[in-house]
Amino acid sequence: MSVLDLDYMLGLLPILLSYLPLTLQMAAAGMVLALALACGLAVIRVLKIPGLNAATMLFISFFRGTPLLVQLFLFYYGLPQLLDFLTQINGITATIMGLTLHFSAYMAESIRAAIVGVDRSQTEAALSIGMTNAQLMRRIVLPQATRVAVPTLMNYFIDMIKATSLAFTLGVTELMGATQKEAAGSFLYFEAFVTVAVIYWIVVELLAWGQRRLESRLNKAYSR
Amino acid sequence: MGRSLNPVKNIALPLLASGLLATGPAQAEQDESLRVGMSGGYFPFTFVEQDTLKGFEVDVMEAVAEQMDTEVVFETANFSGLFGMLESGRIDTIANQITITEERLAKYAFTEPYVYDGAQVVVKEGNTSITGVEDLAGKSVAVNLGSNFEALLRELPYADDIDIRTYESNIEQDTALGRVDAFVMDRVSASQVIKDKPLPLQLAGETFSEIHNALPFRDTEQGRQLRDEVGQALQTLRDNGTLADISERWFGSDITQP
Repeated sequence: MSVLDLDYMLGLLPILLSYLPLTLQMAAAGMVLALALACGLAVIRVLKIPGLNAATMLFISFFRGTPLLVQLFLFYYGLPQLLDFLTQINGITATIMGLTLHFSAYMAESIRAAIVGVDRSQTEAALSIGMTNAQLMRRIVLPQATRVAVPTLMNYFIDMIKATSLAFTLGVTELMGATQKEAAGSFLYFEAFVTVAVIYWIVVELLAWGQRRLESRLNKAYSR
Repeated sequence: MGRSLNPVKNIALPLLASGLLATGPAQAEQDESLRVGMSGGYFPFTFVEQDTLKGFEVDVMEAVAEQMDTEVVFETANFSGLFGMLESGRIDTIANQITITEERLAKYAFTEPYVYDGAQVVVKEGNTSITGVEDLAGKSVAVNLGSNFEALLRELPYADDIDIRTYESNIEQDTALGRVDAFVMDRVSASQVIKDKPLPLQLAGETFSEIHNALPFRDTEQGRQLRDEVGQALQTLRDNGTLADISERWFGSDITQP
């Protein structure tokens, strides 16, 4: 227990890295689905579509108001006791669905805020030159809202990558699950968890770099 | 907007599809093979080294499957998820030193025990203030979440004075670090941890409760039938000495006899 066992960490690195694709795959799939769902929810909230608006608020309230782990347990272990066909869903799919529902609730609110945040004068100007509502949304409001929403949405994506570490509770050996089991075999907890922390960190840093590039592109119109 | 979304779709949809497709093979194996859940985090019963699942439980279940002339598929999950996986039919049984308790007997169909063991108090090396279970009053004691050692501690007459802390994992580590005064585990794996792993720990006194570990199955017609088949295979392995061999290999002694 004296110094870090570097040889062990180096040996562990390729093993753990082989589980990274699954982690990223679940996060990427969750992100795409959550984004799509969140856009729908945000539009419902912005337009205050009767009936749907209340349902959306209930959805957001529940998925934002309960821990992701609770939702995963309910979804994977609880519901199948009531609905038989749900046992057909495997851990990976259940994790993706859990991430989607959970994070879409947060993302819907941040997208809604971005849409509402586009200055009213923009809408008025667009309408005054005869744009339809759809044109107004597509050409004027959404591009500006996107620019505002990107940083917060990237934040959720980063959070989602780390949230995949809960999947081991559903029997999915992803990056974190692999680390836990290797640590149990070697009892070199510190080494194992430092190694996995560095992997997560580097992945997130790469994303943050991508985010900065994307933001500077979206900001071009504003920086002259 | 429309155009810029396309690359995202192109990358993500195949990824998603591959995630969803993963349902396929898992289901196909379901009927023929024995699906066994374990934590992969309980040395030396089930653990991973160099990406390979190993341990006493792995060897026993592979021998059982061979005896039954079937395939065994191991599913690893956090311990707290294992019984959920059993309940929801995603695995057939749990090979993770599951101790037979009244509550579990009421709910699951168990095989005969294949491991006989006792509960053991373990402390940090050099700790002389705890020399057995009777010294635990006023101390903080770690146990694994969902294990029955918590229940054993709560049955003690001075249970109210014990600060019982349940952990998801890493109780050995936290005891070695001095965050808790002791942990309670079965004697066999506690001895093994002390012998093989670089943690400053020592056994405190004798075992304080007898525990019988077995394989739980769902208490349904199907579950009980499978339980009988597995139980029979275990009995054969016990009779022909295979169980004792596996135990000797991992523990240097036979823990499969009462």
